[in-house]
Amino acid sequence: MPLLDVKNLTLEIDTGTEFVKALDKVSITVEKGEIRALVGESGSGKSLIVRAIIGAVPDHWIITADRLTWKGQNLLAMSNEQRRMIMRREIAVVFQDPTSSLDPSATLKEQLEESIPAELLDKGRFWQRAKQRKDIAIGLMHKVGIKDHQSCMQRYPHEIASDIAQKFMIAMALVSEPELLIADDPTRSMESTTKNQILRLLGGLNESKGLGILFVSHDLLAISSMAHTMTVLYCGQTIESGKVKHLHRRPLHHYTKALLDSAPSFQVNLPPKSHLVALEGTIPTLQHLPIGCRLGPRCPKARKECVKVPEERFIQQHAYSCHFPLHLPSAARSHTQNTNNIGTSTKEYFSTDRLYKSDNSDSENSNITSQKTEGNEQ
Amino acid sequence: MTAVLEVKELIYTHRIRRSIFSAPDEFVLGPISFAVNAGETLALTGHNGSGKTLLAKALVGAIQPQQGSILLEGKEVEQSDKKTRNHDIRLILQHSNTTLNKAVTVGNVLNQTLQLNTKLDEQDRKAKIEQTLVRVGLLREHYYFYRHMLSDGQQQRVSLARAMILDPKIIIADEPFAALDPSVRSQTVNLILDIQRDLGMAFIFISQNLGIVRHISDTVMIIDKGKVIESGKTARVFQNPQHELTQKLIDSHFSLVDKHFGQF
Repeated sequence: MPLLDVKNLTLEIDTGTEFVKALDKVSITVEKGEIRALVGESGSGKSLIVRAIIGAVPDHWIITADRLTWKGQNLLAMSNEQRRMIMRREIAVVFQDPTSSLDPSATLKEQLEESIPAELLDKGRFWQRAKQRKDIAIGLMHKVGIKDHQSCMQRYPHEIASDIAQKFMIAMALVSEPELLIADDPTRSMESTTKNQILRLLGGLNESKGLGILFVSHDLLAISSMAHTMTVLYCGQTIESGKVKHLHRRPLHHYTKALLDSAPSFQVNLPPKSHLVALEGTIPTLQHLPIGCRLGPRCPKARKECVKVPEERFIQQHAYSCHFPLHLPSAARSHTQNTNNIGTSTKEYFSTDRLYKSDNSDSENSNITSQKTEGNEQ
Repeated sequence: MTAVLEVKELIYTHRIRRSIFSAPDEFVLGPISFAVNAGETLALTGHNGSGKTLLAKALVGAIQPQQGSILLEGKEVEQSDKKTRNHDIRLILQHSNTTLNKAVTVGNVLNQTLQLNTKLDEQDRKAKIEQTLVRVGLLREHYYFYRHMLSDGQQQRVSLARAMILDPKIIIADEPFAALDPSVRSQTVNLILDIQRDLGMAFIFISQNLGIVRHISDTVMIIDKGKVIESGKTARVFQNPQHELTQKLIDSHFSLVDKHFGQF
């Protein structure tokens, strides 16, 4: 059972005259010990998904979902208290822009010690508690790679560098030993050495503790070096999700391809000063959303059929929503002739495909390992 | 051929005295020397707080360096000579949404620039503005738009239009892509490359993103704590970094790239 399972989440915002679907049938799952990347441009609703999951959404926004569950418990049907308990102990969130999401009126020491739950302190005398809190706090600071804890602890958020603040946010999130960490753009505006430190830290926690991570970002380099699976979001619609490896090797959606091509680091034989691949236009605003596939006006292959919202289709674990996917020549051709053929032709096409065969052996291996870990737990 | 911009032994010292009893905190930038030729791009990179933006400010004349000289096409520019400076060296900042005046239209922003720096009459100004808007990939109608009606990428284009409307010799761009999304960023990179190729402008380009630095720059200069620690042709520096810190920066960038390619 996945840790977090979101299926067809729709979020409607009242603009005064009408309801706008800021998120339209978004599906995302995070398994135990998985690093899932959520990729999208600003304004595509990444942060809205985070807010919908943690419940920090104003009352007049309408959330509907087929499933929004945490370990099988329905988050939408819960009372506020129950939900808050889960957020406190099992899910932790690192927000965007650390310096402004910390409390400006308290020192870092006060904030970190306050976030340590009372259950974690073993039952000493009450005068011993303060020291225990302090020890836990210092331990956490060291764990996330802040070596000079003395000078940091006494400072206010505006007095520290943004990368230290980011590490500190991660420390605060790790206090309650969560099972899922939601990190909202943790590597924004960092130079590559600091970014590497943060990524190593998160990757290490994932390996040693089996921490599930939902990594929200548009830094493709960071994502592809660390994440296992990836979900691409455009304008509030999930357009493609699957293993990072598969998406890189064989993107099926035009937007995913454009996004991956836009990073010059990924292209080996790119001559310097040559043109980069870019889609025309920009992401539409919420007031002017196109109907059907929201990439429509920017898509190089858009046709008449694209005014209908494409359904999510699967090829093994790789989900995509596009009427005319890339790399599926036989399927696309048959689609124009007869829509019924599409299922069989994709199967035929992929039955001869090496990529997904190798993936089968991969998943068998991972099954074995997951059985092993289950055995250990028992 | 003389370089478009040449900087010789530039030194700027920034002092803050926090209290009368303590010694003042000092940040010394420089001595820095470099030259940029027409049609070339120089990239500045380095850690946060290393003095990259300070150097950009010194070049455009927003702060006054204590020593050294800045030569524009072989002639020294005085600090007081705001006219040539504003005209020939233009600056683009990271967040165009805070640098554009939100109370006036895009056309007005560009018009003010022309009014203050050229002797064109109203008709010529309007023609020039329309021509520049089209050049940066906007429409003539954007003349009447306000800042909030434009997307991030379009605002960045307006910033670029404001920089290049005076046909400057050199444009200094401080993190022009950091706030942009990947697909829009590629568009802007393409636009800058086009403009450079067509008009032969020189660029000084400040960025943390080594992928893009490597792609668009001819020479690169790495700054740490106000000192230039390494400079040279981009390809050479990236292949064979000499300084320890450069190696660290480049290694960590390439370790991410390698991890990405390692998956295949």
